[in-house]
Amino acid sequence: MARMKFICDAERCIECNSCVTACKNEHEVPWGVNRRRVVTINDGMVGQEKSISVACMHCSDAPCMAVCPVDCFYRTDEGVVLHDKDICIGCGYCSYACPFGAPQFPSNGAFGLRGKMDKCTFCAGGPEENGSKAEFEKYGRNRLAEGKLPACAEMCSTKALLGGDGDVIADIFRTRVVHRGKGSEVWGWGTAYGQSHNPEAKAPAKEKS
Amino acid sequence: MLLTRKSNAAGGSTSARVSSGLSSSLAGSLARALPTMDRRGFLKRSGIGIGAGIAAVQVGLIQKAKAADGKAAGADGRKVEVRRTVCTHCSVGCASDAIVENGVWVRQEPVFDSPINLGAHCAKGAALREHGHGEHRLKYPMKLVNGKYQRISWDEALNEISARMLSIKKASGPDSVFFVGSSKHNNEQSALLRKFVSFFGTNNTDHQARICHSTTVAGVANTWGYGAMTNSYNDMQNSKAALYIGSNAAEAHPVSMLHMLHAKENGTKMIVVDPRFTRTAAKADQYIRIRSGTDIPFLWGLLYHIFKNGWEDKKYINDRVYGMDKVREEVMTWTPEKVEEACGVPEAEMYKAAETMAKNRPSTLVWCMGQTQHSIGNAMVRASCIVQLALGNIGVSGGGANIFRGHDNVQGATDVGPNPDSLPGYYGLAAGSWKHWCAVWGVDYEWVKKQYVSQEMMEKSGTTVSRWVDAVLEKSEHIDQDNTVKAMVFWGHAPNSQTRGLDMKKAFDKLDLLVVIDPYPSATAAMAAMKVDGQELNPNRAVYLLPAATQFETSGSVTASNRSLQWREKVIEPLFESRTDHMIMYQLAQKLGFGKELVAKIKLVPGKGGMMEPEPESMLEEINRGSWTIGYTGQSPLRLKAHMRNMQMFDVKTLRCKSGKDAETGYDLSGDYFGLPWPCYGTPELKHPGSPNLYDTSKSMMDGGGNFRANFGVEKDGVNLLAEDGSCSKGSEITTGYPEFDHILLKKLGWWDDLTEAEKKAAEGKNWKTDLSGGIQRVCMQVHGVHPWGNAKARAVVWNFPDGVPLHREPIYGTRPDLVAKYPTHDDKKAFWRMPTLYKSLQQKNVEEKLYEKFPIILTSGRLVEYEGGGEETRSNPWLAELQQENFVEINPKAASARGIRNNDYVVVSTPTGARLKVRALVTQRVGEDTAFIPFHFSGWWQGKDMIDSYPEGAHPIVRGEAVNTATTYGYDSVTMMQETKTTICNIEKWA
Amino acid sequence: QSGSQTAQGTVQDAATAPPPMTQALPNVESADIRYLQQNQAERTRVQPGNMAPVYRQIKEGQTHYSSLPALEAGMLIQPHAQFPGQARATTAGEAWRLYRNGPLTLYGGWLIIVAAVGIIAFYFVFGPLRTKEPRTGRLIERFTSVERITHWTVAISFLVLAFTGLLMLFGKHVVLPLFGHTLFGWIAYACKTVHNFVGPLFAVALIVMFAIFVRDNFPGRGDVDWVKNLGGARGHAHAGRFNAGEKLWFWGGVVFLGVIVSASGFVLDMLVPGILYTRGNMQIANVIHLVAAVLIFSAALAHIYMGTLGTEGAYQAMRTGYVDDAWAKEHHDLWYDDIQSGKVPRVRSKDGSKPAATSTTKTV
Ligand SMILES: Nc1nc2c(c(=O)[nH]1)N[C@H]1C(S)=C(S)[C@@H](COP(=O)(O)OP(=O)(O)OC[C@H]3O[C@@H](n4cnc5c(=O)[nH]c(N)nc54)[C@H](O)[C@@H]3O)O[C@H]1N2
Ligand SMILES: Nc1nc2c(c(=O)[nH]1)N[C@H]1C(S)=C(S)[C@@H](COP(=O)(O)OP(=O)(O)OC[C@H]3O[C@@H](n4cnc5c(=O)[nH]c(N)nc54)[C@H](O)[C@@H]3O)O[C@H]1N2
Ligand code: HEM
Ligand code: HEM
Ligand code: SF4
Ligand code: SF4
Ligand code: SF4
Ligand code: SF4
Ligand code: SF4
Ligand SMILES: [Mo]
Repeated sequence: MARMKFICDAERCIECNSCVTACKNEHEVPWGVNRRRVVTINDGMVGQEKSISVACMHCSDAPCMAVCPVDCFYRTDEGVVLHDKDICIGCGYCSYACPFGAPQFPSNGAFGLRGKMDKCTFCAGGPEENGSKAEFEKYGRNRLAEGKLPACAEMCSTKALLGGDGDVIADIFRTRVVHRGKGSEVWGWGTAYGQSHNPEAKAPAKEKS
Repeated sequence: MLLTRKSNAAGGSTSARVSSGLSSSLAGSLARALPTMDRRGFLKRSGIGIGAGIAAVQVGLIQKAKAADGKAAGADGRKVEVRRTVCTHCSVGCASDAIVENGVWVRQEPVFDSPINLGAHCAKGAALREHGHGEHRLKYPMKLVNGKYQRISWDEALNEISARMLSIKKASGPDSVFFVGSSKHNNEQSALLRKFVSFFGTNNTDHQARICHSTTVAGVANTWGYGAMTNSYNDMQNSKAALYIGSNAAEAHPVSMLHMLHAKENGTKMIVVDPRFTRTAAKADQYIRIRSGTDIPFLWGLLYHIFKNGWEDKKYINDRVYGMDKVREEVMTWTPEKVEEACGVPEAEMYKAAETMAKNRPSTLVWCMGQTQHSIGNAMVRASCIVQLALGNIGVSGGGANIFRGHDNVQGATDVGPNPDSLPGYYGLAAGSWKHWCAVWGVDYEWVKKQYVSQEMMEKSGTTVSRWVDAVLEKSEHIDQDNTVKAMVFWGHAPNSQTRGLDMKKAFDKLDLLVVIDPYPSATAAMAAMKVDGQELNPNRAVYLLPAATQFETSGSVTASNRSLQWREKVIEPLFESRTDHMIMYQLAQKLGFGKELVAKIKLVPGKGGMMEPEPESMLEEINRGSWTIGYTGQSPLRLKAHMRNMQMFDVKTLRCKSGKDAETGYDLSGDYFGLPWPCYGTPELKHPGSPNLYDTSKSMMDGGGNFRANFGVEKDGVNLLAEDGSCSKGSEITTGYPEFDHILLKKLGWWDDLTEAEKKAAEGKNWKTDLSGGIQRVCMQVHGVHPWGNAKARAVVWNFPDGVPLHREPIYGTRPDLVAKYPTHDDKKAFWRMPTLYKSLQQKNVEEKLYEKFPIILTSGRLVEYEGGGEETRSNPWLAELQQENFVEINPKAASARGIRNNDYVVVSTPTGARLKVRALVTQRVGEDTAFIPFHFSGWWQGKDMIDSYPEGAHPIVRGEAVNTATTYGYDSVTMMQETKTTICNIEKWA
Repeated sequence: QSGSQTAQGTVQDAATAPPPMTQALPNVESADIRYLQQNQAERTRVQPGNMAPVYRQIKEGQTHYSSLPALEAGMLIQPHAQFPGQARATTAGEAWRLYRNGPLTLYGGWLIIVAAVGIIAFYFVFGPLRTKEPRTGRLIERFTSVERITHWTVAISFLVLAFTGLLMLFGKHVVLPLFGHTLFGWIAYACKTVHNFVGPLFAVALIVMFAIFVRDNFPGRGDVDWVKNLGGARGHAHAGRFNAGEKLWFWGGVVFLGVIVSASGFVLDMLVPGILYTRGNMQIANVIHLVAAVLIFSAALAHIYMGTLGTEGAYQAMRTGYVDDAWAKEHHDLWYDDIQSGKVPRVRSKDGSKPAATSTTKTV
């Protein structure tokens, strides 16, 4: 079974923010909630500037999942880390734990009132019925169920952002690296999919069944 | 259990199907993530994938499987359609599929098949669907009453506006009304507007191209033929080196980078020359910082090394270039020291760039606003052309002058739209051109002439959008027309894109009539309504706002930067009370008394509310019938639509269709280039495939080949201007230079009888541009393989311009008096596009007043990827607005710390006009110490104050900010009246 | 199909023999310190294509440019962090997760269990402290109604906080398996919301409590003796109005831990103006809150035990406000002396007799 992953190719990313607005558009995510964002390292510094688009990486041993006090995360067969907004209590712990700053909240958090957590779903919806209205309203579209890939990756202006089966995108990326002979870092993979320091994670977190 | 439902849904018997479909579609779709893979297989595979995947889903969302057939009724009777449209935000021309459910634009899907964008978009394109909501748009006609906008009906609006226009025409003449058209109009609307303005009786009309690429258009056309991008974004994949000078493609043409970055992976070397280290520069192999306004010293510095090392293409220059020796004389005076003094680039860097361009041929050169928006823009762009000519890169795949155009249809509007100095197709304003178009339009030439004040005014270029302010404010006796301008019609153009905002506000207050026809007229509206203390307001002024429909609410063709035409389907019906621009033109024309003439040869169809409007297809056919000069004749609606339906048949690198037939019409696409990039000569039936790369002699004429144009005579001062022996397009019967074709030359050559009898009748007394049958073009190309416009040399020296050989001249406002002394600007001009225009007197005054001490920082301006143009549309789109919430000035850390400014502080940017802008400081090394940059997309603040109260209710954009053009200064190109927006001066202090 | 044949070829070639990524270029950093200090521009000069410096910077968790104004939007990966006792630094979020889910939950849980079990054992082994002398029937007003209202406000809000807080920490291990996700989700949501609002109430009441009781909690005569005699386990222990044990609870539990738990709670509640609610700050606040919460809860268990089952008569004092002379003499002899000598009035509230009268009838 395909294991879904993201790669953002820093040699290609131009900080055009298409991935960000594609996501907003597809899922009608409200102002202030950014499932995806683009960061430019060393902005303006000749020879050192790189842009990278980041969203939830759907980690193998996901810290968000581990800290959630109500255990509302789950992992799909494709390795996509999703959560159930009906259960989420908006405590914010997932956002403290996530290395990438993926979890987002609709309100400001005074008195801990953040609203339900929202994050990148890899365009795979949520626990509601695939393609249902309820699913759309809570989690946005379910493109995977439609046989499509994440909107952000599909619309990326330079195809810097690759999203899909980890093996396939790694292949594509590797080909690029070979062609250009540089830029071989697969950003964030170590943190997201690499060796965990978590003793519990030796046996990879199993899907709930 | 709840948490397992997902896996269950995908589990069981369907799971195998889903997953196999899914993973194969993944593989396929990802294959296209890299253009080096076959994009086609994906469609098939994804088709399977989608079919299988969807089988498990029956809910009311739009499914591509159904949608793919074009129309489908959902199980519950919902109507779901896919409409193919093209992004309206820049000239790349990215296609996008709109999914419309019961008339509502519910989703947006990438068009992987598009050879131009392969599904990719930038932020603006990925946020297109917001146009389907348009919550911040003007919803109904409005009129300014006692400082507030009030709703009125369309009838009232059209009646009052037309009455006012007629009375102004009567009292002060038609030239007192200025029509600012739009590069956002499609080709049909653009052409119709030029006709509309002509029938009103004036040439006072213009559009964005003036302040965008006018210098390019004039400079390049005068060099070799057409003022357009020679190659295409796709063709850049064939380049071995690329020099971007004055283009920030990563922000302004993001999807073009898809092709460039792919090329880079295959070894293309990329050089970026810009005063700022931009997102584009970040991708370059070599970045070179120059002082703003010094492109000529840089380019001559480059050529210096090319000549010195003998890297120029001598044969090419001999065969195809006129005047290179004169250029060489000038260039060789630009020693490395002089170059470094002027533009700041040391010799080693210059040498490296020259070597890269020379040793990696074909090499391409890209420019954009960094070169055009200067008082010497016309010379800068010609210098770029000359570099490419010296390297033999023009007319070569992988080479070319890749001039990235601006608005989605600025190319088309320039080609066939409202220009003050030409009729559609660059036909000048001479009587012959008028007669040509009158014949095409089906109106009487004499009748049109009567609309004008005189034949003289009919043939005199109008004034330009960059100078409308002066046309209003100047004394009548100073300008070259009877009266000043009293009425402005903004028909799809923002005000904050023109310089000298303080003066503009005065002009707004002096007008008798202001009409804004725009989906987002609010920037103009607010500027007109706002009160400025102590400023006189014309008590009789009337201001009207009319809600225009967007390009998603009509159909029509749009010309991308690479000259490809694409047909947009109508996505949704015009929202609110808005009407399409062509409907408004027609209705207003009726009120003004020339409704019938406007549509004499155009079919009318029912539009919004059952009201009649001209049919876009029919309007395009009219363009086809008349625009022989630039080959807008072959792109019939039928062909364009077939291209849009069958994008998958076109190759990404060559843009060519190897073979294939349109299933719907049976049209055979074989050999066509995508979008029939103009020139697509002859009638549609001739099936010219379009020209992917201009002046390409390696292809035959009927394959899209060409050569430089014979437009300037056959010799100059005894020197041959025609191409030398052996230089001609492939398969040409004439293998040397030759002049342009007319009935006489045809007869002389004995080719007259190749015409049919009907063609002969039409061609008698005509030339290749005016023969309405297309016979001359057909015979030239199809029978004899020659170019109807002749075969000449490109002109390195454009003797009819102020500086035949491009000369460096310092900007009017600068920080280097020492260099002004060496490279002063032009002399003042008296009647230039009807306006007196200052150069040297102002430059001298600035030096004398030591402005360089009070305003020690060079101020330049340009684009952010998220916003477009004046920005009112994009700042109204929440998905985009969120990404740039305040205007800012880029300032170097050293300059900032010298002024006690920290990142994100509010600062005041002041310029010699007296304007004070309140913006955030973005302290960054993107700019050098001597330079600052402000994006120009903001408006809605006026020197620190939010003008939200002046907006029509509910029609203000989400993000407002200080417009840089409130503070920009005087300065105009010496050929085209381009405003000098890329170089002025400022001071920056903390906002107190 | 058309055109892309060659292009496809390259991909397939590459796919059949994919070179290992590391082989494509040397992206490994040498241990040479000067080399490690290179920025990307310097590195590119000596080793084009090696992007290690940039990626090192990213891993260092610096904040870079993002056009979004959101806090920490410019941070790609959280910086490294290492909480006390952790073997190595990891990404802060990961470190926090390991800390919270690991030692804090584990030892915190055990501490509470041990405290509870200890108290129960104590009860069964030693039983409650009984008042040895018979009641005299004469009552002293030990707590005024203001004092009692304050105490009960603190006590009840504390219990609410403890219950709701602990549910957040341990609920998924203890309650979730019993109730299932949906119900537990609701409960947890309610608990979290209640906790977040009751917390500030608790904190305010705590300040009042401090003001009321601080005077009698200064170290004084008898405290040393009380400690020496292990609070009366080894013979009579002298004590003022509050004995040393209570003072310990007051200063250590109520004041010290109470302040910590409240302050960190206010941070977690995002109610403190002027601080940045970064993830890093929240992690620290959470750790502090948790540690203090578990400690104060364990201590409170002891206090509650002593105030109810542990000491006969104590609870009445807190409920009714009045204690018998005998109880006072026995537990707080120095205080009793003061009352007898008139230093401290027997009844402090103006209407002090009223509640006393009603309650004494019931309890005495
Ligand atoms: N996102 C977005 N995209 C757009 C548009 C938009 O508004 N927003 N507008 C479209 C339009 S209308 C146009 S015309 C194009 C414009 O596209 P570009 O011309 O690429 O964009 P600009 O930012 O105006 O200017 C390009 C660069 O010129 C540099 N520059 C300034 N002065 C000089 C100089 O003297 N010499 C040189 N060599 N460079 C200089 C600036 O630093 C800037 O980086 O973009 C099109 N695409
Ligand atoms: N300082 C500075 N100034 C500049 C520049 C710069 O770099 N620096 N760049 C210059 C350049 S290159 C350009 S092209 C201009 C761009 O500046 P403008 O063209 O003035 O800016 P836009 O906001 O794109 O204006 C287009 C208007 O058309 C409207 N519109 C969109 N679609 C339609 C339609 O279908 N019908 C009608 N009727 N209206 C429609 C939009 O709502 C918008 O109001 O700015 C120029 N000004
Ligand atoms: C004094 C007794 C208190 C106890 C025993 C207590 C206990 C706890 C516990 C166990 C947690 C869960 C920590 C975790 O799961 O990692 C928690 C969280 C929290 N506590 Fe307390 N707490 C107390 C007081 C307070 C106070 C006074 C405040 C506020 C002023 C407060 C605000 C919070 C907040 C905001 C959280 C985070 C929970 C969320 O927002 O979802 N707590 N507390
Ligand atoms: C149900 C829970 C509780 C019960 C039954 C209880 C009971 C008591 C009793 C009986 C006394 C009086 C002891 C005496 O007379 O010497 C007392 C005193 C006190 N209690 Fe509690 N209590 C509880 C919770 C708390 C809590 C949560 C706090 C603070 C966080 C607290 C703080 C105090 C203080 C400060 C005193 C005064 C003693 C001193 O200042 O040293 N109590 N409590
Ligand atoms: S990126 Fe963050 S939110 Fe996504 S799975 Fe990893 S830890 Fe969880
Ligand atoms: S915010 Fe929601 S998803 Fe995140 S940890 Fe808390 S309960 Fe879980
Ligand atoms: S995968 Fe989907 S949800 Fe995630 S960032 Fe991309 S578009 Fe948004
Ligand atoms: S769309 Fe692609 S290139 Fe643009 S910011 Fe996102 S990842 Fe980078
Ligand atoms: S703005 Fe230009 S590059 Fe961006 S999606 Fe539209 S057409 Fe493409
Ligand atoms: Mo433009």
